[in-house]
Order: sequence, then structure tokens, then C-alpha cells
Amino acid sequence: MPSNLTSLKPVRKSVTVPAAPPRAFELFTSHIHEWWPLQTHSVGARQAVGLVFGEGVGAEIVETMTDGTTSVWGTVTHWEPPHYLAFSWHAGTPEGEATRVEVRFTEDGPGHTVVRLDHSGWERRSDGAFAREDYDSGWEPVLGRFAAVAATLH
Amino acid sequence: METYEAVLEALGDRTRRHIVDLLRAGPSSVGELAAVLPVSRPAVSQHLMVLRRSGLVSYSDHGTRNVYRLDTAGLRDLRAWLDSFWDLALDRYAQRVREDSLDIGAQPRHE
Repeated sequence: MPSNLTSLKPVRKSVTVPAAPPRAFELFTSHIHEWWPLQTHSVGARQAVGLVFGEGVGAEIVETMTDGTTSVWGTVTHWEPPHYLAFSWHAGTPEGEATRVEVRFTEDGPGHTVVRLDHSGWERRSDGAFAREDYDSGWEPVLGRFAAVAATLH
Repeated sequence: METYEAVLEALGDRTRRHIVDLLRAGPSSVGELAAVLPVSRPAVSQHLMVLRRSGLVSYSDHGTRNVYRLDTAGLRDLRAWLDSFWDLALDRYAQRVREDSLDIGAQPRHE
């Protein structure tokens, strides 16, 4: 069903910001708690009090709740300041069902940066739970993952 | 309920995801679906009703049997919502960068 496949292509977004790439990169990562809409877009919702974007490959993106519990949203897979950043994304879902977010910072004249974000990976099979089922379905995990990610960000 | 919420609810169930997956191969009747699913025919009908409400599935009358098929409206709504989520996040990010650049502008310059 080509039209369904089309609707699950990567989410692509871009925004131009008034800062050079190094600062744009720093604000996106180290200062994420200052702009992420945590109250409405988090695992803990109103209980969410903190969000930390770890630095470097292997570092995690971690939400903290009022009671001190944490939720890992993803792991940094590429850390190439000031131009490129990629991380897995499994906020509120099993790590094996992670999607992928890539962010590119491209200078656009002095003191300006175009930030491009791609959220992809809807098409990837999860190799854990679904592979153990007695039917071989390529599409069902995709729908599940898509729904799970969107539900988390509710 | 917003449409994307109906889609989330619909896809939150494993059997319903399986039904959507089966319909991907082509339109089917309730009986055909029930024959390959590990649930009863009335249960399949119930699931199909939820899927129809969410806009993921539509049906047409073919004489004595209803034939169900995928409808992309539901996924389009869900996709639109996910798009709007990233729009909001990046808007807030851009706003934060703008505030940052104003702060820098307000500092005395030592050049």
C-alpha cells in the first residue's frame, strides 16, 4: 500500500535560528531543559521536572520525575559538534523499538544556522518481541512503534 | 476524541494491528479475517468497528458481505499530529536561541 508507506516516511523539519552552529548545537543539547515542552511532551507529564541531554556518543537523554525516578528517552549515536547529531528515540517504549532522530546544523550566513531534524526508523522491524511470534509480519511492528512513539509524546 | 487519539487507541491493541497488517494484503471480509486470527468472529467485528471509527479501515457492502479495506485517513491524521509535535518543539527551541542572541546583544562588547 504505497500511500501508507508514504505516510510513514521520515518526519522532516527545519528551522533557522539566530546563532552560529556551535551555539545552536549547544542550546539544542546542553540547554534542552530550557526549551523542551516537558509538561506536555514527556513520559511523566506533570511529574516531569528535568531533562538532560548527555554529551558524546553513548550518552543518554534522560527525563527525571518529581519522585526522583528517571526515564531514558534515547542514546546518542553520533556526536559531531557543531554540525551533526543523531540519537535513538524510545521515550516510553522498549529500547528495541527505538526510532531514530538526526539533527544537522548548517551555517546560513553569519550568526545564523539552519537546523534540520529527521525523525525516521518507522520501517525498521523490532527484532525482539515480534520476531518470536508465530507469524511473520513486517508491518505490525511498524504500526505499533508509530503509535507508541506518538502516544508517549501526547 | 481527536482523530489521532482514536488512531492511537486503535493501534494500541495487538490484534487490531494484526488486522491492519492483514488488510494490507488486500480487502477482506470479517469471516476471512476471523479464519486466520486467534479470536472469535464477533471479536473481529468489534475490532473492525474501532478501526473504522479511527479512520484506519473503511468498508463497503458487497451483496451479502461487508468487505473491509485499509483507509489511509487515520494514519494521515496521526502523521499530522507527529509533525505538529516537532513543529512545537522546534519553535520553542528557536525562541530559546532568539532569547540567547538578545542576551548576547545586551552585553557590553569588548572588542
